[in-house]
Amino acid sequence: MLVDLQGPWSPIFGRLGLLLDVHYNNPVIFFAFQLVVVGGALLAFWLTCTNRWKWLWKDWLTTVDHKKLGIMYILVGLVMMFRGFSDAIMIRTQQAMAVGPDSPGILGAAHGYLPPYHFDQVFTAHGMIMILLAVTPILVGFMNIIMPIQIGARDMAYPYLNALGLWLTVVAAALVMIALFVGDFSHAGWVGLTPLTELPYSPGVGVDYYIWSIQLGSIGTTLGAVNLIATIIKMRAPGMTWGRLPIFTWTTLASNIIALTSFPVLGVALGLLTFDRYVGTHFFTADLGGNLMMYTNLFWIWGHPEVYFVVIPAFGFLSEIIPTFSEKPLFGYITMVLASMAIALVSWTVWLHHFFTMGASPGVNSYFSIATMLVGIPTGVKVFNWAFTMYRGRLRFPTPMLWALGSLFLLITGGMTGMMLSVPAINYLVHNSVFVIAHFHNMFLLIAYASFGAVAFWWPKVFGFRLDEKLGKLFFWLFTAGTLLVFIPMYTLGFMGMTRRLDYVAHTSWQPLLLLEMLGIALYTLSVLAFVAQLAVSIRDREKNRVTGSDAWETSRSVEWMTHTPPPFYNFAVTPVIHDRDEWAWRREHGLTSLVPDRYLDIHMPKNTAVPLIIGMLTLFFGFAMVWRIWWLAAASLIAIIVVMIIRSFDKDTDYIIPAAEVEKMEQEILSRAAGATGDTADAPIGGGAGGAYASRHAPSQSRKDT
Amino acid sequence: MTRKKIPGFFRYLALLPLLFLGGCSSDFWLFNPKGIIAQTELYYMIVDVAIMLVIIVPTILFTVWVMIKYRAGNNATHAPKWSHSNALEVLVWGVPVVIVVVLAVYSYIGTHQVNPWNPTIVSEHAKYSKAKPLEVDVITTDWQWLFVYPSQNVAASNELVVPVDRPVNFRLTSTSVTNNFFIPQIVGQVYVMPGMRSKQSMVVQHIGEYHGFTAALSGGGTSWMEFKVKAVTEADFNAWVSKAQQSTDKLTYTTFKTFAKPTINTGGKVQYFTDVLPDLFGHVIKNVRDGKLLYKTPMFLTENMLSNEFKQHSN
Repeated sequence: MLVDLQGPWSPIFGRLGLLLDVHYNNPVIFFAFQLVVVGGALLAFWLTCTNRWKWLWKDWLTTVDHKKLGIMYILVGLVMMFRGFSDAIMIRTQQAMAVGPDSPGILGAAHGYLPPYHFDQVFTAHGMIMILLAVTPILVGFMNIIMPIQIGARDMAYPYLNALGLWLTVVAAALVMIALFVGDFSHAGWVGLTPLTELPYSPGVGVDYYIWSIQLGSIGTTLGAVNLIATIIKMRAPGMTWGRLPIFTWTTLASNIIALTSFPVLGVALGLLTFDRYVGTHFFTADLGGNLMMYTNLFWIWGHPEVYFVVIPAFGFLSEIIPTFSEKPLFGYITMVLASMAIALVSWTVWLHHFFTMGASPGVNSYFSIATMLVGIPTGVKVFNWAFTMYRGRLRFPTPMLWALGSLFLLITGGMTGMMLSVPAINYLVHNSVFVIAHFHNMFLLIAYASFGAVAFWWPKVFGFRLDEKLGKLFFWLFTAGTLLVFIPMYTLGFMGMTRRLDYVAHTSWQPLLLLEMLGIALYTLSVLAFVAQLAVSIRDREKNRVTGSDAWETSRSVEWMTHTPPPFYNFAVTPVIHDRDEWAWRREHGLTSLVPDRYLDIHMPKNTAVPLIIGMLTLFFGFAMVWRIWWLAAASLIAIIVVMIIRSFDKDTDYIIPAAEVEKMEQEILSRAAGATGDTADAPIGGGAGGAYASRHAPSQSRKDT
Repeated sequence: MTRKKIPGFFRYLALLPLLFLGGCSSDFWLFNPKGIIAQTELYYMIVDVAIMLVIIVPTILFTVWVMIKYRAGNNATHAPKWSHSNALEVLVWGVPVVIVVVLAVYSYIGTHQVNPWNPTIVSEHAKYSKAKPLEVDVITTDWQWLFVYPSQNVAASNELVVPVDRPVNFRLTSTSVTNNFFIPQIVGQVYVMPGMRSKQSMVVQHIGEYHGFTAALSGGGTSWMEFKVKAVTEADFNAWVSKAQQSTDKLTYTTFKTFAKPTINTGGKVQYFTDVLPDLFGHVIKNVRDGKLLYKTPMFLTENMLSNEFKQHSN
């Protein structure tokens, strides 16, 4: 071994011997373990009883269909969001319990019920999971599902790569979940504070889990970014010029340019840390020439663009939802595109504002302060544009619109507190305080609101039936009440001087507000139940809520509403021709809503493949082996991954052609099924006033004149 | 229309937020500065918020008005094609640009005024008060504070005593991981980093006892890593120095190494030292850089830890 490890190590089992010393008597962990085991067993039981293993394998595990991959991305994100929320409940209860020197401790803790290092692991996992394994997969999932349909493509540019990206994300999630029961997790904050993450201060395997989970997951995100960018550049339907690209697609592009360029920086930062921990280099230690500030720089050079990587697609959701329910085109399209790109650009110049208090010179701090403020300009522009989109509109307020407007107000308040933080003179007072926590949760909640809005907005498109509105509104209001009750007290506590990451709260005057936050957490818990109930009721009543036309909201504007609901696996029977920025609104206006094309053509589609899943499994073995330093297993799985990749590269049989006749047959079936649902005849245009439409090469071509 | 729906009693619930005003007492440390640095920082916070509100309040009012006025069924003007206006484009870009320029100027000035390495606001104050600045070296360990007064030849752990109205200059370093020196009512934060030196200056204007602590996660003892700040008169300060000088504990490098062992200060223990090793501060930085002052965190402290072992490492 090149480094001085505490505890046992053997060539066969690596550091797994450490587990013999761990006392598995912690009821908190034991409860989580039972939950996972029972849940997994029930799932397996259900799959066996309903005879669905084959279906699972054929339709989901080996699929390369961008819509199904997107759904799985979102599913992973939601599961991990639930895990992250459980961590949040633990953080809040611990802080509400462990106030003042007289507060008792239970379950082996001096105060509250979590000993310091366990609490530190909980908030580290909470932050890392919520950002990298909840928000990111959910947004990437939406990009996967919606963006290709929005530009009139059949699939992504690289369907196989797309599946690989998903399975690497699953590996990251799996490693974090394994860390819950086998060993421990990093206790150094989600940013991985050096030198706290170095071997002398984190001798266990926690930091290794953290490193490998992020490292492997971020490879998946980078591959996904390559794919999404290539798809937008190369796969646009005829007529889909850059000036007609839907705003969500633009934001996907902006966001993935950030991802493609920033994730490698994270890879390097964590890579150097890995060298420190595994081979005894001193990049980020205090001694022997190391410099911890270098890690902080590298981490935030990735970290701040990452923040915009997740927020820009959320802006894209708002730009799709608000015009639809305002019955108006988006105000200032060009401005919105420029603003998204400007945010992406500026995101690269602001990272140092995360450590104004590191004692940089006032010149440096002023530069980064002003650079940070510049982000406020395009963001402010966006807020104004959404407001003007609603101006002189005809506003309806179904759940997606409620979520969108909620995020608008969150953006305004979060933007204001962000501007406060960008001033070093203020930042010196509130840095590392719960004020900062309230600020960035405010911004991440904006993303959550926009994402929940997007779920409600595109659900009917993806699954063919609407979500229950009543429970959806209950979900919204409970969630909003929770948000207010958790984060207003948190901002207030920031002004009282409370800092973040405290497992023991020394000052009793903070307790009332901490208890108020508990009430907010209780409301959040109820809102989760409302969400689950909404899904269950909607699935039960799916026949009643079925969407008959292609357009679920009847005032939708972009291309994804031009195909069947739900879209067939080949998306469009014939590649559509685009005539306008808001193509579907334009067609509705010109009466070109028929779903029946002049003639059908052959369709070229990618074949299912199990290779991404196999590589994912091998990567999981590799990650686990590296965490526990089982070198033989790591080497074996790495070689296996390379071999599988080489074998796959010789596989020429990766795609197939659906003959035109068969396309016609499938289309007729979909059309008659839809007609059956409405009671219409097969050849009539479906969807009532809204209807659905396909490309007509003879449609008059004209571009919009802005008036 | 909502009047009748809400029973009279519950209507008063709307007044609940007023209770927050009750909190505008001394508990709001950031709004009760007792030193000139914190005061200046509060001033910039108020200016920043005020300027932002100039743009935010109208935006919120406009958005709410639009939501009410243009809801479907209200038969307000509907302009289904309207999506561009040059005048509004100028407005939507112009207003944020103006606000950001104004804020940027304030930010630039403020950053220099409270710059930890040489706060102009403190040097101006020093010109008038003519008092000689007090030099204090701050050394953090896992997880305690050591305040060394080189001129007075004393040191105190977990307690900082300073005279009022006299500038205090700090040099800060850490033996292990990064901490963050923060006294909310007196001075903003600056990182305390191992093998490196950072600086901070402050002037306390009011006699009293304040809370100081680390604002950065530094491991298991972070939450207990607090210190008392006592701002006293010049005479009381001198009396405190003489009292501390009577301590029998001498701060040689050997005793410092014992002190620096991982210890969680759950009891808020304070200790005084005399005969401080000359340039202990420089010594610590050099030894940390050479890797000679490295205390490994015991494995059981980072595993799923039980409280007995935890207590063995606290004082």
